[in-house]
Amino acid sequence: MDSNIQRNKQNQAKKLIEKYFYQLTVGCNDEKCQNKNCLSSGLVDKSLTPNQAAVKAIQLYVEEVELCPNIQRNNELIQTTQASSPSITANNEDIEMNETIDNSSSEPQNSLRSNKKSSDNLSTSNAITQSENTMTTMAAVTSKEINFLDENKLNEMIDLCEESKNYAPIIRSLGHVFSNKESVLQSFQRKAKSSIDVILDRVQQPSDIKTMKKEDIRRLEDDEKDEDSKMDCEENDEKEPSYTLVDLESLRRSFKRLYEKNSQAFEALDNAIQSLATLIHLDLRLMRDKEQFEEILYCIVILFEIFQIGSNMLEQSIIRTLSSTVALPVWAQARLAHIWSVHCQDGLRTILLCLQQIITLQVIANTYHRDFHVNDNEIISNATKVMNILFCANLLASEKIETSKFIPECSKNSKSDTSSSSLTDDNDEQDDEDYSSILYNSTASKNIKVYQDPLMKELNISVFDVCEPLIPYEEFQNEPLCDAIETDEDYMRYRNLVYNESSLSYGSNKKFSFMVFPFLLTPSAKTLSLFFDSRVKMYTERRTTFINMAYLGAQAIQNPYLKLKIRRDAIIDDALAELEMVAMTNPKDLKKQIFIEFDGEQGIDEGGLTKEFFQLICEAIFNPDYGMFVTNEDTQTCWFNSFSFENEAQFTLIGIVLGLAIYNSVILPLNFPMVVYKKLLNVRGSWRDLQDWNPMIYNSLKAILDYTEPDMEEVFAQTFEIGYENVFGAPLKHCLKKDGENIQVNQQNKYEFVELYADFLLTQSIEKQFKAFRKGFQMVTDESPLQLLFRPEEIELLVCGSKNFDFDELEKSTEYEAGYTAETEIIKHFWSIVHALPLESKQKLLQFTTGSNRVPVGGLSKLKLVIARHGPDFHVKS
Amino acid sequence: MNNRRLQKELADIKASGLKSFRDIEVDDRNILLWSGSVCPDNPPYNKGAFRIEITFPAEYPFKPPKICFKTKIYHPNIDEKGQVCLPIISAENWKPATKTDQVIQALVALVNDPEPEHPLRAELAEEFLKDRKKFMKNAEEFTRKHSEKRHD
Repeated sequence: MDSNIQRNKQNQAKKLIEKYFYQLTVGCNDEKCQNKNCLSSGLVDKSLTPNQAAVKAIQLYVEEVELCPNIQRNNELIQTTQASSPSITANNEDIEMNETIDNSSSEPQNSLRSNKKSSDNLSTSNAITQSENTMTTMAAVTSKEINFLDENKLNEMIDLCEESKNYAPIIRSLGHVFSNKESVLQSFQRKAKSSIDVILDRVQQPSDIKTMKKEDIRRLEDDEKDEDSKMDCEENDEKEPSYTLVDLESLRRSFKRLYEKNSQAFEALDNAIQSLATLIHLDLRLMRDKEQFEEILYCIVILFEIFQIGSNMLEQSIIRTLSSTVALPVWAQARLAHIWSVHCQDGLRTILLCLQQIITLQVIANTYHRDFHVNDNEIISNATKVMNILFCANLLASEKIETSKFIPECSKNSKSDTSSSSLTDDNDEQDDEDYSSILYNSTASKNIKVYQDPLMKELNISVFDVCEPLIPYEEFQNEPLCDAIETDEDYMRYRNLVYNESSLSYGSNKKFSFMVFPFLLTPSAKTLSLFFDSRVKMYTERRTTFINMAYLGAQAIQNPYLKLKIRRDAIIDDALAELEMVAMTNPKDLKKQIFIEFDGEQGIDEGGLTKEFFQLICEAIFNPDYGMFVTNEDTQTCWFNSFSFENEAQFTLIGIVLGLAIYNSVILPLNFPMVVYKKLLNVRGSWRDLQDWNPMIYNSLKAILDYTEPDMEEVFAQTFEIGYENVFGAPLKHCLKKDGENIQVNQQNKYEFVELYADFLLTQSIEKQFKAFRKGFQMVTDESPLQLLFRPEEIELLVCGSKNFDFDELEKSTEYEAGYTAETEIIKHFWSIVHALPLESKQKLLQFTTGSNRVPVGGLSKLKLVIARHGPDFHVKS
Repeated sequence: MNNRRLQKELADIKASGLKSFRDIEVDDRNILLWSGSVCPDNPPYNKGAFRIEITFPAEYPFKPPKICFKTKIYHPNIDEKGQVCLPIISAENWKPATKTDQVIQALVALVNDPEPEHPLRAELAEEFLKDRKKFMKNAEEFTRKHSEKRHD
């Protein structure tokens, strides 16, 4: 109750201040007025700004100056001039209601105060009057139809209901407002703040305005200038895609309060919102007008805010609202994503959890069979599509990869990049493959369809633009769902969706496939989808071969497999020669199932020989002696040798091998830094990609960027000419830009230097080699949904297998020397510490002992770890 | 081969006339390889001079230089091959703003005051900690036998 008394006091004070304000700005309309603080007397400065008038009004209130007698009557006029409410009639009602509530709640207190000294008898009678008073107010509240809600109204209603312990009126009003679109539209509108509110907001302790000193009041006025500039900013908002009229702050505050006081009221809300959502859904079918969609959007924003507060009570409403949300046109969904990304960052996770819960519940509660797949469950598909909006909002709210300002082709390429990855086939003009930039451009050739989510296209955003998502990607994955998806069915629907262009409408449920919402899928589910894709293509190839043979007879005899005959002692030469032949004569054959035959051996390839072949060829190709790749000493990762003697065709063939490995689901013992996979997927690069390939140079460049003293030229003496080494260790020079050897790096151009240097290392120096490598890779994977499904980290997992560190296995296979055995005390301690280490540290330990932080193929037991006593310390070697 | 930064650093070091690092020699054709003599102040090394080689990578200053002792030295932090473990030029600590004269001073300080907590030769570190007298005797003898003459 204390807070209520406080609030009433404040309200009274505010009303008085409003009266003074009105007297100053409008006057009392009495021509004979002698009050020097009344406009009608002609003694007030007419050039007062509203804010100045507000400050003055507070001052008058503090000094308790006389008020003109007939100011009160015009009171309501003040409010209509201040608040830009949707309609004046509605507003008048609002004020009348305020009046009644205010009077009723303040009167009893006044009487209480006066009665304090009187006898007990009187106070009981007072209690009766008080309850009578509340009764009348209740009547006043309920008799009037409440047409919309805002924070004040809701708070007052909560207070009233609290007092009477009866929540019926509030439940009735909530039900009334939330079952009607027009009422919701008027609720919680963001208002232009009245001058008095603005000034009062600046008062730190609103309860003791009376005790304020003159200096304080004057200071209020001084703040004004900064405030004005802030107002300008707010007005500009309207053009932003994230602009919303909903007063989210007050909405959240008041509904949280309601939820804490009486969560039962949300049951009433549930019913109301259900009917509202159904209405909206029907409305949406007939809508064409942008304004109307904006209105629906307004409702949906409000609804999702309420869902965040009371999701457990509102499940049915949420489900209904999902279908309305999904029915919005793409641009409106994009607006929703923008609004969420800006105004609702803290709530994203709550909505996500709520959607996940709905999906999981639907998966578990229903049984799925041939005629009713999990894809057919509309609740799940709607939740998935709303999650897509949420996913986009999450991307929008995350930190983006900084785009390079200094790499010249940057802007041009990013444009052509988006057009090439869309379904429209207008990418002819960029087939001339321009790679000279840090942006890893797409080589997508003609007639290859890559699905792109319409919403992401509208927002012009992709997973590849984000360096660190606000909510980790893992939280979007839904395991129970992935278990329930029939991958074959899902894949067929995906093919319908992508290859059957006529029915490419967003949201048509017959073609609903989870594959186009890869954020939901776990890596293993994605791998399975990819596997289906390759198998389906392999069988199609095989079938076409048989059909061709049947029709065309002997002259068209083809092998239904991609058959490679390999001599073990010349594995690279043979493989490359055979693959080169296929790639040149009939590149489509690469999509057949691979079939390996080792020369002079009887073995028939049932998959085992394929694995062995890839294993052997990788060992050979990445052997430093072969000279196509170099190994970084610090990270043990492979990198393209920019001075390789091999021609580009060799790199193309290695690209084909990598593609074939993925296509044939074989895991390769590769150790590429992440940036290679990023480049393969055309992810926008930045100098930060250096980190996992060459941490030394990365740290040095970072130190240059972090250096803020003006004496940079003096300290670093660095020009735009950098040195590097060829494979033989001979130093070479490279100018990062024209006349670079004479341009010093300074505070102004250090970012340019860093980006150019990184671009040189990551792109330019290996351009020829990488271009050829990717060409080969894409010859195999061009039609695969690889890029749709996988992020670079997941590609790495796909290629290199899991990084599952089974240290128990390692302990079993470890040998001991020079006085140690498995039973020695120190060895026992060693293993107990190792097993307790977090994964990251285990990786480092592995890097330290073996020089690689990956599990070798065959598991950790394949490592030969020897622990030996060496001097006073104990040493580990392998 | 022309590296502006190294030219400048070399000129600065030569001009500053360090007492503890003398006889700097740099091949005109390859500024990435320096050599010079470390002359420590503290016993047991103050009787001799020790030749070292500083090798700069082509990517200098984005990668740190390497230091190698050409003269044999009896020191817990310098191994038989002449390799030395100097934190300032380690991969984790290297900053491109670090100047070679700072590196040399760090090196001289390490030679003067061994750090047995991070040894490269564990047995010398043990001797240094447990039997300082024996260590000093061995090191002095070793210095007399192997080190170069000082010209002061």
